Parts: sequence; structure tokens; C-alpha cells
Amino acid sequence: MSTDFADWLRDREDGELRALVTARPELVTPVPAHMSGLAARATSPSAIGRALDRLDLFALAAVETLVILPAPTSYAEVRALMTRALPSGESDGESGMEAALRETVDRLRTLALVYGPDDALAAAPGVREVLDAPAALGPPAAEVFRHYPPERLDDLIGDIAGAPNGVAGVSPRDRLAELLGRPEVVTRLVAEAGPQARAALDELAWGPATGRLPNARREVRVATAQSPIEQLLARGLLGATGEETVALPREVAVHLRGGRLHRDLSPAPPPLRGTERTRALADRTAAGQAFTFVRSVEELCERWSHDPPGVLRTGGLAVRDLKRTAQLLELPEWSAALVIEVAFASGLIAASGTVDGEWLPTPAYDGWRVRATEDQWTGLATTWLSMDRMPGLVGERDDRDRLRPALHPDLRRSAAPEVRATTLGVLAAAAPGLAPAADAVRERLAWEQPRRRGTYRDQLVDLTLREAEQLGVTGLGALSAHGAALAAGDVLLAAKQLAPLLPEPVDHVLLQADLTAVAPGPLTSDLRRALALAADVESTGGATVYRFGEDSVRRALDAGQSADDLIAMLERHSTTPVPQPLRYLVADVARRHGRIRVGTASAYIRCDDPSVLDQVMADRRAVPLRLRRLAPTVIASKSSRPSLVDGLRAMGYAPVAESLDGDVLISQLDARRTEVSPAARSSTVVNGLDDEVVAAAVRAMRAGDAAHRERRRPVDAPAGQVPRSPATSTISVLQEAIRQGHRVWIGYLDSQGNATSRILEPARMEGGYLTAYDETRAAVHRFALHRITGVSTSTDG
Amino acid sequence: MNDGPLIVQSDKTLLLEVDHPSADLCRKAIAPFAELERAPEHVHTYRITPLALWNARAAGHDAEQVIDALISHSRYPVPHALLVDIAEVMARYGRLRLEKDPVHGLTLTSTDRAVLEEVLRSKKIQPMLGERLGADSVQVHPSERGTLKQALLKLGWPAEDLAGYVDGEHHPIRLAEDGWTLRPYQREAADAFWHGGSGVVVLPCGAGKTLVGAAAMAHAQATTLILVTNTVSAHQWKQELLKRTSLTEDEIGEYTGAKKEIRPVTIATYQVMTTRRQGVYRHLELFDARDWGLVVYDEVHLLPAPIFRMTADLQARRRVGLTATLVREDGREGDVFSLIGPKRYDAPWKEMENQGWIAPADCVEVRVTLSDEERLAYAMAEAEERYRFCSTTSSKTRVTEALVRRHLGEQVLVIGQYIDQLDELGEHLNAPVIKGETRVRERERLFQAFRDKELQVLVVSKVANFSIDLPEASVAIQVSGTFGSRQEEAQRLGRVLRPKADGGGARFYSVVSRDTVDQDFAAHRQRFLAEQGYAYQIVDADDVLAGD
Repeated sequence: MSTDFADWLRDREDGELRALVTARPELVTPVPAHMSGLAARATSPSAIGRALDRLDLFALAAVETLVILPAPTSYAEVRALMTRALPSGESDGESGMEAALRETVDRLRTLALVYGPDDALAAAPGVREVLDAPAALGPPAAEVFRHYPPERLDDLIGDIAGAPNGVAGVSPRDRLAELLGRPEVVTRLVAEAGPQARAALDELAWGPATGRLPNARREVRVATAQSPIEQLLARGLLGATGEETVALPREVAVHLRGGRLHRDLSPAPPPLRGTERTRALADRTAAGQAFTFVRSVEELCERWSHDPPGVLRTGGLAVRDLKRTAQLLELPEWSAALVIEVAFASGLIAASGTVDGEWLPTPAYDGWRVRATEDQWTGLATTWLSMDRMPGLVGERDDRDRLRPALHPDLRRSAAPEVRATTLGVLAAAAPGLAPAADAVRERLAWEQPRRRGTYRDQLVDLTLREAEQLGVTGLGALSAHGAALAAGDVLLAAKQLAPLLPEPVDHVLLQADLTAVAPGPLTSDLRRALALAADVESTGGATVYRFGEDSVRRALDAGQSADDLIAMLERHSTTPVPQPLRYLVADVARRHGRIRVGTASAYIRCDDPSVLDQVMADRRAVPLRLRRLAPTVIASKSSRPSLVDGLRAMGYAPVAESLDGDVLISQLDARRTEVSPAARSSTVVNGLDDEVVAAAVRAMRAGDAAHRERRRPVDAPAGQVPRSPATSTISVLQEAIRQGHRVWIGYLDSQGNATSRILEPARMEGGYLTAYDETRAAVHRFALHRITGVSTSTDG
Repeated sequence: MNDGPLIVQSDKTLLLEVDHPSADLCRKAIAPFAELERAPEHVHTYRITPLALWNARAAGHDAEQVIDALISHSRYPVPHALLVDIAEVMARYGRLRLEKDPVHGLTLTSTDRAVLEEVLRSKKIQPMLGERLGADSVQVHPSERGTLKQALLKLGWPAEDLAGYVDGEHHPIRLAEDGWTLRPYQREAADAFWHGGSGVVVLPCGAGKTLVGAAAMAHAQATTLILVTNTVSAHQWKQELLKRTSLTEDEIGEYTGAKKEIRPVTIATYQVMTTRRQGVYRHLELFDARDWGLVVYDEVHLLPAPIFRMTADLQARRRVGLTATLVREDGREGDVFSLIGPKRYDAPWKEMENQGWIAPADCVEVRVTLSDEERLAYAMAEAEERYRFCSTTSSKTRVTEALVRRHLGEQVLVIGQYIDQLDELGEHLNAPVIKGETRVRERERLFQAFRDKELQVLVVSKVANFSIDLPEASVAIQVSGTFGSRQEEAQRLGRVLRPKADGGGARFYSVVSRDTVDQDFAAHRQRFLAEQGYAYQIVDADDVLAGD
């Protein structure tokens, strides 16, 4: 690692460091011991990759320019090169560019991707390695022709320059690179190669700079070249980088690009094109969809309470069950899958723990159900934003050409939450009420995060847009007010924005002669339950249409209501008179209901000896049990079975509860639940750190750094071997040392298996690794615990 | 929050609260693109179907209008999924157009190349098409104009037929408005049809559909072929045309089982047209017998399948369909759309009643309790015999007699399904019975007698279901029906819905055996009427008998 980068980092002000840590929070998880540690972490390939991933197209172009220019370079050179990449004919391009580039370079410095003053600007160490094809350029000529044998190189140089390598002291490879770096040489070579070869070059010029070619290493000279490609190979305009691959040397490509590295570079993101909508209309539409979505989830849980689908052996929901559920919910399958997945991720449904598992609502559903609709929605929508599952993949085929079932573990995509957040971010950036077209969103994302583009990513973005619409986060394609609040993380505001747009609960219905009841809005929960019992739901949405039929009325009577109760309930809640056919229906069903004596009793007493039952009936203590003699050997009771059993026991009898096979008295189904409430799932996204944490981290590093620099000089390990110690004591000694801040002397097998010994100042121990400052090497290292052969507390602690 | 009268449901039904102050405005706004499904007293249900949306497109409405109507009248936010769906479905109509090219004749052209490509790949469609005429159009065999439209509708890309019509042989026809005039809605219906070119007019029974047909003929001024359900209906059309138009006896021909006249205006029955001998339709040449300028289809919802096939070949002629309902029990609404044409006009029953154009009606269901022996016999009857048994019990006969007695002095029709039962009733009521075997002349004599009030009670089988004109029947008693046919129930109610001379109301009784399949079927049939806003009252037979 380059020490000047670490020194530069050390010289940054605290404010700048805080900005770095805020922008790249992964650098301080965990907090490095000192500045060198921070520098090491900031230049690791994965950390650089993550930082580059967050760059927009313009900033990335600046980094690429820096990487391509020989380091260190100057700000002016970078600017000159990038100015050439601006789209031609834009008069205000340059001035806008100047401000943007200045800001961008400062930002890159803040991110520690670029360091050094304006006159000695360089990309941070490691950046060059991570960007393997900067600006889609191929490797430099020196790299391309590295594997060429000297005699081939001489031939090439001979063909290019017209004379063999004459300059003494310069290797043929450098000479070739130097030749290809000269514009006039390349111009001449391209002209010589012919128009077909030129066309092939143009294909490669803007990348990808490599191509496949059988027998790429063939030996061709200008004299023997036949095909256009051979013309290029013979002139070094293409070089073989493998048996079957050729590459366009970087110098040639830059020349073909007219000395530019990028084209049509824009310092500002592309504008969002789309349809203009009225904000209020978008909000209302989104709210309508939000309401529908919440109702769908509720409907799903209600249905699955009584009729749960099974869990597949591989996990997930059978395709058939998804189809059925989609039909029940009157949704297309992908939409039903979204409802199911969001309900699952919100912890409202889960697999029951039994062997033949079923998907059932969880106890959490009962709590969720009674919440206000807007709160129900924010709960679901927040889960959707943060869940790492991708419901849009349901029904697609996986690598083995099998359909992906819903609720399957395979649906997890770690990028999902981040894609959702950024996509909503783009929508939020649009003017209120603007519904950006899907390709405009993709274009914008391609500018904002160029390193994350790709068909897979585009698919995720498309799915996100579709899901956002389905959830009611957007309406008519435009981000709604409540959706914007949600995207900004303000759940309370989202609920507040949404609430006034939702239908208000009503406590009345309109009864009609065609035996329907129309609830012109969401019903209060009591009334909804009462109606759901006595009538079948025919249509849902803003209103609910119930239909009374013989079966539904009978169901209400079966559940213990009387005809009078039912009519009274309807009269109470109907704004219109109860129609005669409905009264007649209820009376008619009740009439037959009575005929076969299906009362509303809830338990019975049966005894072969009528005299015993005589006794029971005569007993005054039996009065509260509300008994009724049905036949000499049967007494019915309105008390429940347990209380009847208890009552009879209290009277001195020894009753046995009987199973209900065949004599079902109350046939209402029990809603079922899983036994345990699984923790709600959400992925762990590294979110922004708050300011206090950042400041503390910077303070800690400064302090550690100061302490560290005091004793930067490597310490020699004591001679001899550390005595071997058992693993348990190793760990306890290290723990103690971490706690006390002591040094330890360890024996360590390095990755080559050599036994070494080190003096360490242990910092932390986690995941089988010890992180410690290695005084023998004056750097922070991680040590695998299992490789530590022995440990003893350092004598000079 | 908007306080509109409309609630949009997720299953694409629209609930319209009729007592709302702006309900009428809303109805006008949504009627073009939503099919009225149910119209009970408080909340009307409209349904948005692809066909309804395409009807709207054909009538010149676009998706923006539809969405705007929904959003501006809806009480609650409209779910976005629904709006998207509407826009998508509507956009499908008119992507493909049938046009007449001066050089290549009939062509199918597209504004969307991808759609054309998709359609061209269909194996069903390929044989109907000829040469490809460039990227966006393809030649169509003229004979396939109708079948192509059917096939395209099935694919979900209904074609707009802009290929025009032949004028047909000119024949002067004029409405003779002496002492009467077309009602406003009849004129609107005829105009709407004429501007649309071809299509269906939906009006309730008794609303004067014949006159709409006559007005359409007056527009066309051309020779006309009229297809009706049966011979009686054919006579009535003839009578009506003679009375209401400038046409004379010589100009109107009947093409029925008995007569085979071909005249400038020819009335043929479906039955004759579909008669086959040795597998060949014998009367197909009628379609080519003259250069018809207009084809009128009466009772479009009953159009038999062979007529559909014949109609497919008549696409160059103007066609008007007349019906009380677009609901077809066989679900062939799509064929009506593609072969006859889109809906051009409709008006809900109840509104016409409110305006006084059709008589108000009370519907009463009389529940007959079977006697113990009957109940036992019913329980033991074979499954396929049960319906017949319970619809023809003698208990019903007694109740029917009581009802007839109750309406002594009024014109009463007794309608039934089973001939034995009708014969028995005729005997008990001392009334003539009209059934399939009754000769046409006898039928007409009896109808005339009934009209002249010489006869007060008439027992009819299902032959009288359609298109007979019994203006003064104020009471209909249905004793049995064709299982659960809702459309039959509507037709039968239509018997008593014609405006009465005294402006009085009509009564429709349905006698039903309690606790049997009869009751189940009755419930199904009546649902249709209840949904049309005719509140059913249910009474027990004992109450009827007691009041006797």
C-alpha cells in the first residue's frame, strides 16, 4: 500500500474525514485502529468497488480519465481530456463542465477515490486494478503485446516503421507502444489496412475492446495478410491476448475516438421524460390502489385462515395454490404473488411448524387487522421497500427451467432493497405529478449508477415500478405524496398523507330486492363480521356487495343467530327498508331450519338411563346450565360443553365429554394461527450512520493513529518459539489482552505454513479472526485463530 | 374526498347510487362504456367488459374520456390497475382496420406493425388473408370479412370495419307519421345505428323496437331483408310496417314455412333460413335473391348459430340488430359484436318505465306448498323427472285458478312449459290453449279475440314467448318455465309491459313449488328481473287461497 495515500489521508481535516466516513460507512464497520488501517481498508478492492458503484456517470468518467492518464497528473489535464468528451456543438457545455468537474473532483477526494493536490492528482491506490476496462478501453499496447516473442515484435515493428527496431536500449515492446502512441503512425496504419479493416476497428473503438477470433496467435505479416482482420493483426492495430481473443490496444482506441475517452459526456443527469399528471389525481389513484392492496392482504389472510395451502417440500407455495389464490383475490398471478410475498415478509403469514406444513396467518395478523388502514398500508409498504425478496420472479423459470414458486427461499435478491430505494429516489427527483416513462427511469439510473446497469438490473427496476404501482406507492406512474414520504423514511407522514384519501368506514348498508346488500364504503368491523356471516361477498373494492342466499342465511342461523336477530340487525344498519323478498328468505330458511330441529344449543347430555336425567332436570343447581329435555335420554343445553361438564361435576356426576362426530351443533370453523410468531424479515442494509457515530469513529481513528505513530518502528519478535497453548486458553488470553490493552506474543502459522512469531496488540476478535496491530510488521492484520499456535502475554506489556 | 355517486369495484363492476343527486349525470357518462348488469332499486351495477369498452371505442369514445368519467364521478380513488387495464383494452380496438382499397379491394391495415405480425402468425387467420401489401397492410379475401372479424376478436384485436357498405337496390321507404310520431328514443336509436353503419339497438320489450327497424329502413331507402323469430312475429312485422310506413301490401313479402315471397321488403323467419335438407341450407339463396341494402335481425340474442355463419357472408350489407338484452345464454356476445356490429343504443328498462313508455309491473312469486303425498312423490322421483313433477303439481293448478279468479275482468295470460299441464289448466279455466301444434290461423284468431276482449283468459305455451303483440294483457301467470332461463323470464314479463290503454300497471305472477328445484330455478330466473328493478314480492299460496 502506498504510504503517500495514507499520509494524504492523515492530513485531511476532521471534517473531511467525517464526510468520508459518512459517505462510505463500511470503512468504519468496525472502526480501524489508525489512519493506516483506514487507508488499507479504503483501498481494498471490495471497498473501492462499492464506492465506485455509487458514482454517477460523470464522476466515474473523471475517475476513468485519471486512471488512464499517467499518475500523478494535473487537474488541468483531466479537464482538457474530459472537455473533449462533451457533446459537440454545446456552447454552454464548457462552463457547466468546469463547475461540475470541480465539484466532482472535490467529491472524489472526499470519497478518497482520488487524492493529491490539483497539480499532482491521482486515483487512489487500487482503483486502477478495480476498473479493469476504464471507459471500455482495452489494455495499453505494452500489455497487449506482452506475450509476443521478441522476433514477432521485431516483425511488427518492421512492418509498422518500415525499418527494424533501430533504437538501442529500448525494448521492442516499449518501442511498439511508442509507435502506436503516435497519432500520425496510427492514421497511416489505418489507412493502409483498408476500409473493411477500418469498419472492424470502428466496431471495437467504443468498446468492448476485445473480440473473439479463432487462432488469434497466427503469424501474419503485412505481405501475407489476407482478411481485413489479418491486416490489422499484421500492423499491431489488434493484438492477440489469448489463443482465441484479440484486443484493441488502448493507444489505438484513443486515437480512433479522436483523442477522447468518452463521448457525449454530460455533467448533468438526463432529464426525466414522462407524462404530466395532476398531483392530486396521482395521489388519489395511488390511494385507491393502496386501499385495494391492503384489502387484498386481508382477504388473503382470511381465506388462508380457513383453507390454508400446504408448504412445498422445497419450501414455497405450489403453483396450483398460487393460481387458486389469484382467482380468489381476482388478481393476475404476479399481483397475487406480490400480495402473498409482502404479507409473508411483513410476518402476517408463515409456514406452520408442523411436518406437513401449511401457510397460515400468524398471531401478528390479528394485531395488524385491527389497525387503521393507513397504518396497515405503511406497514406493508415499508416491508416491501426493505425486503430482499423479489416477488416479480415468481412464475419465471430458474436455471434448471423450473417455475419459481411464491414464498420460496430462492426469491431473495440482495440488490432488491437498494434497487427499490434508488428507483423511488429517481421518481422522487421528478417534478410532482410527473410520471416518468420506464425507459427514462432506466436511463436516469444508468447515469446515476453506471456500474450497476445491466439487463438483470433493468429487470429489477421494471419490476419495482410495477410493484410500486400495485402497492399504491405510485399512482398513474407518478410518485404519490404518501409514497414520497415513505421513500424518505417518514412513515408517520406517509400515514398522515394517505389517511384523508382513504374511504371512511361506514356503518350502514343499502338492502335491495335482488337480495344484495351494498356497503358504500369499508364497514366498521362489527358490521363487516355480521354481514360476512349472513351473506356472501360478491364484489369488493371501495364498496362491498353482499348477496344473501339460502346458504348464507343458514350459515348465520347455524352460527347461533335467530331469524329475528338477523332481521333486527339488518333493520338497524340499513338506510332503506328491508325488502320483502329478503324478509321472506330469512323467514323461509328459518322455517326449515326449525323443521329438522337444529337449534342453537351448544352441548347435550346423553344418558341411557332416563331416571338419571330426571334427577338432573330436577336438580335446582342445574338451572344456570339452561337445560332442555329433548328426549327421555337426551338433554340439550345452551351452555358450552366445558361449562356443562364442570356444572355436572359440581353436582356430583361424572360426565365425559363426547366428541362431536356426526352431531355437530355449532359448525362455525375455527380460524387457525401458527404457534410462534417468526421475526419479521428485513434485510440488513448498511444505512447512513448518524453524525455522532461518524464523529466518534473519526476521533477514535485519530487517537489510535497518534498512538500508533509514536511506535511505528517495527519491533523485533523475541527469539525462540512461543510455547504451544491449548485453543481455549489462547482465546481467553487474547480476550484478556483485548480487555486490558496488553500486548501478546504469539506463534503463528502464516498462509504458507511457516511458523512465525509476532508481537501483537489485539484489538478485537470476531468470526474466528483476531484483528490486531502487529508490532513486528507495524501494521494492522487479521489473524486466523486456528493458526495461532501459542500465545503468551508479552513481557514488556 | 370526492362525493360522487359511483363506486368502482376491483372486479370491474361500477356501483351507481341512484338516489344520489348527480346519479343521472353519472349514468350518462358511464353508459357508453359499461354494460348495465343489474338495476335494483338503490344501487345499479354496471360492468366494464372488453366488449363494452370496444363498443365505446366504436362509438368514438377514447380511454381518456372513460378514465375521466370514472375518476370524476367516483366516490373513492379508482384503483390504478383498473385504469391501466381499461386503457390497454381500449387501445386494442382499431389497431387493425378493414378498409377498402381502390386497387386491392378489401385490406386489413394496421397502425401497429407488431400487432399485424402477431395476427399474421395465427394459423386460423392466415388462410383468410391474401397478398401482403407492404409492411402495414395485407389483402383480405372478400368472402372472409365476417369470419376474419370473428377470429380477430377472439385474438383480442377487434378490427374496425371501415370497408363501407353497398348501397343496395334503392327502394323508397318513408315513415307515415300520421297521428303518431316516433318517440325520441326511437329516433335516437335509429340515428345512432345509421351513423354507426351497422350495429345493435338494445331496447326493452314493449318499447317499440319494430318502429326502430322501420326508421332504420327509412334511413336506408333500400330493399330490406328482415329476419324474425317465427311466423307470428313475421305477420306482426308486416302489419306494423303497413301501418307505420309508406310500404304497401305488394312491397312486403313473407318468406316463411307457408309462403315464399321475395319482395323489396322481405320478412323471413330464422326457422326457414336454418331448415336443412340433406345437410344443405335450402334457402340460402334468399340472401342473394336481391341486392339487399339493409338486413334487420329481430331478437338478436336468439340468433341461431347457422344464421351467424350466414351473416358472416353479409358483411358488405348494413345490418341492424334489435334486442331486449345482449345477454346470450350461450355466451356468444362476441359474435354479435363482430358480425352484426357494436351496440349503438340502449336505455335501461326502469327509466323507460319512469318516462311512461312501458307499463310498470308488479312481480309476485306465489310459493305453493306441496301436499304430503306430492312431497313424498317428489322425493322419490328420478332426478330428471323432478323438475317436471314439481312444476306441474295439482297444487299449482288450484293456485292458478284462484289467481285467475282474483283478476276476473282483466286480460290474463297463463304461460307454461308443459303441454299436459296447460291442457289441464285450459280445461279448468275454460280457456283456449295455444301451443306448438296450434295452426297459425287459429293462433291469430285467438290473439285477435284476446285483443278484442272477447277472450279474457288465454293459456299459452312457450311458442308465445317471442314477438307476439298482446297489448292489453295486464296479468301474466307463469306456471312453469324452461329451467332457469333468465332471458325467457324477461321475454315473458315483456308480454305485459306494453303500455295499457288505461295507463294501469301490469302484474306478473310466477307460481313456484316450495322447497323443490322449481324454487331454485325460479330464483335464478327472477334474479334477472329483480336486477332490472322489478321488486319481487313473495306470497304464500295459502294467502292467495285464503283471500279467494
